Amino acid sequence: MNTLIFLRDAFAGRKLATAGFLWLCLIVVAAIIAPLVAPFDPLEIDPVGRLTEPGWPNLFGTDHFGRDTFSRAIYGARMTVIIGVGSVLVALFCGGLIGMISAYFTRLGHFLMRAVDVLMAFPALLMALVLITLLERSVVNTVLVIGIVYATTTARILFGMTLKLKGETFIDAAVCSGAGNSSILFRHILPNLLSPLLVQASFIFAFAQLQAAALDFLGLGLPPEVPSWGNMLSEERIYITRAPWLLIYPGMLIVVSVFSMNLVGDALRDSIDPRFKDDIAGV
Amino acid sequence: MTDPLLRLVDLKTHFQTKGVGLFGEKKVLKAVDGVSFDIAQGEVLGLVGESGCGKSTVGRTLTHLEKTTSGQAFFEGREFLSMTPHKFRPLRREIQMIFQDPFASLNPRLKIEQTLGEPLFIHGLCKTWNEARSKIAATLERVGMDPKIMSRHPHEFSGGQRQRIGIARVMILQPKLVIADEAVSALDVSIQAQFLNLIKKLQRDSGMSMLFISHDLGVVRHISDRVAVMLAGKIVEIGDKHQIFEAPQHEYTRKLLNSIPRIAIGKEA
Amino acid sequence: MALLEVENLEIAVSTQRNLLPVVQGVSFTVDENETLGIVGESGCGKSLTSLAIMGLLGTSPVRITGGSIHFDGMNLLALSERERRAIMGNRMAMIFQEPMTSLNPVYRIGDQIVENLRQHQNLSHAAARDRSVELLSLVRIPDPSERIDSFPHQMSGGQRQRVMIAMALSCDPKLLIADEPTTALDVTVQKEVLDLMADLQSRMGTAIVLISHDLGVIAETCDKVAVMYRGKIAEAASTADLFAELLHPYTRGLLNSIPVVDRDVEWLEAIPGRVPTLEETLTGCAFQPRCELATELCACEAPQTTQFKPGHSVQCHFAGQDRS
Repeated sequence: MNTLIFLRDAFAGRKLATAGFLWLCLIVVAAIIAPLVAPFDPLEIDPVGRLTEPGWPNLFGTDHFGRDTFSRAIYGARMTVIIGVGSVLVALFCGGLIGMISAYFTRLGHFLMRAVDVLMAFPALLMALVLITLLERSVVNTVLVIGIVYATTTARILFGMTLKLKGETFIDAAVCSGAGNSSILFRHILPNLLSPLLVQASFIFAFAQLQAAALDFLGLGLPPEVPSWGNMLSEERIYITRAPWLLIYPGMLIVVSVFSMNLVGDALRDSIDPRFKDDIAGV
Repeated sequence: MTDPLLRLVDLKTHFQTKGVGLFGEKKVLKAVDGVSFDIAQGEVLGLVGESGCGKSTVGRTLTHLEKTTSGQAFFEGREFLSMTPHKFRPLRREIQMIFQDPFASLNPRLKIEQTLGEPLFIHGLCKTWNEARSKIAATLERVGMDPKIMSRHPHEFSGGQRQRIGIARVMILQPKLVIADEAVSALDVSIQAQFLNLIKKLQRDSGMSMLFISHDLGVVRHISDRVAVMLAGKIVEIGDKHQIFEAPQHEYTRKLLNSIPRIAIGKEA
Repeated sequence: MALLEVENLEIAVSTQRNLLPVVQGVSFTVDENETLGIVGESGCGKSLTSLAIMGLLGTSPVRITGGSIHFDGMNLLALSERERRAIMGNRMAMIFQEPMTSLNPVYRIGDQIVENLRQHQNLSHAAARDRSVELLSLVRIPDPSERIDSFPHQMSGGQRQRVMIAMALSCDPKLLIADEPTTALDVTVQKEVLDLMADLQSRMGTAIVLISHDLGVIAETCDKVAVMYRGKIAEAASTADLFAELLHPYTRGLLNSIPVVDRDVEWLEAIPGRVPTLEETLTGCAFQPRCELATELCACEAPQTTQFKPGHSVQCHFAGQDRS
């Protein structure tokens, strides 16, 4: 209930962010009903109709296997959502747990947060590359790797916020009521972290897309047969002069989606800054 | 003579402070430095002093919110400062604390009934929510609040109302000792008076003992039976309130009393 | 003509839906060498009144909707931003409640006083520094020539408040507005600061508006008092007159609510209820829901300000009457 009101306030009067939000909703819907709206099978090869220009019935043209680019783009939305949601869940779960526990149990926290600092010293993409070379190429592994990379920043942020909340009087009050550690962490602290977690989630969602696209492009992300926007870019890059639409459409989709996610993230972040929504009780 | 409810023997709470600069020496802040007193059954001890004298730290140490450096505290004859958190938990029901800031002491995400119900379940005083709700309703009525408000969130209430809810959270456990840390300081004068009356009435009715920590000498005189004056981590004077306020022995107590602005009422002014 | 004349001041806060009045028809005057105390509980409009005089309401949703403020013959509300700045910090100065936040933590206190001096007076840096040392010794900071190079965090709360007073007094203001100047301080320090202000006033002839929630502070330091309740002045008189005969039931309730150190009271005569919020619209007297004297008249008709005695005005239909 609170979260709904929070969302409504966050987007009130922000046209661009609302447009971004709607675009994301569209992607999610496309991902869910992809088989219903895609005009062709995204994996069906047609050796005769290779590299056709955009038009009817191939709206975005066909690639060098003669596969319908429009259908592949719609199925690519599926990958976008899976990668995004998956990485967010992994990052928030691992990072959130590490951050909260480190802030709450200070001795263990010293050790854990130093480890996080070391991991954060590597550039995100480099760390993802190192991890992925240890594993096979698969959807699950891509999600895991990206999630772990962003777990470090999440841990840092939640560490700071938990530390601050831990000093609040209502936590002291809960301690005095006899509440145990798990009750304090998950019943008293966690609900107060939901709004910042939501913001963090929207940014990870955006960054995960870029990481995934980069990994795909380098041939280290999703298996090549999976239709994803990054794979489309990677496979068709040699045709950039003969069939530029093969790169323009997926490229545009990535850019617009990541931009939308960032707009949504900005809107959410601005609205949790409590300085802007103080009531007039103070005067 | 029976044992006092609470006996504090040479309590010390020291804090390590960070050194100044990269190689600065660490310093020890002696917030509480050798405090001893007794509180009898049903007695209210006022603890006064200026900011930084360590009076709040005494309260926070007694509720295990700060670590004790040395010294002992006995509750009904049992030493409890050295107890593990697990062993201390049953005693938390008996020793409760009222906090100063009514805006910060309630979890903004929890409904009033959740905040008030939690301690009931923790200490096994209730098994079902129905039982809990009837207890919550009765306690809210005792502190002068409409029981219907229990399904609302803290942000819907004024500072005074929140403080009543804070007191309800304490009273619902029927504690034997309540530590009130500047419990009325954040309230406006007219609301503060209502609270002093309420706390006094609750204390009389339940026969609980109280450690009333405040910087306000008028408030302390009003509510306490005995008064202890603290300065720089130590108690400089302790005694019956009439003795402290009418025949102060220590120079610092006299200085405090002389500093209070007074109002001359009536024609003689 | 008095130094400061506030007449029928109206301040309102604009919300999404409407304008809510927060200060209504407030009038008072302050002369040179005189201290006016404004007392009331949070939300009564006392701080907003002081901010309005200093022109600090700015672009906030709270704004002046009526009345006039004259300082030394000038209409403050008609001044341009530049003219106002020339007066502020110079001929009118303000001390705030929180000495920790009103000094800039990254500058030495000396630099802050010097800057203020040079902004308003044509002084060389060396002269301004000498004057700053002088001011610090005036507010009884020990070793002023050394302490001038301290940072705010190196000083205690009482010292910081004294630095604020030194800064406020740096240009010999004719009017000093002190908004809860001692609320954040301990009683012993409060006494020193209040004594200091009284001493400086007697030497410089400054007019002071002292805003406080503490009747005791007001009674000890002010020549006259205005008691505010929910945006209106409930009762105003010279300090001696006011405490000789409390006319408004709110003033009486306020006084009875204070636990005193000199005698025992079994139960305090608390004012029941709470201050109505801004959103609650009231007809009649604002205090009527909490008042023991209230009748039907109070519920439908707001009392006008009446002069009960010369110099003692009150807004109550039953001024001076008891419960009987």
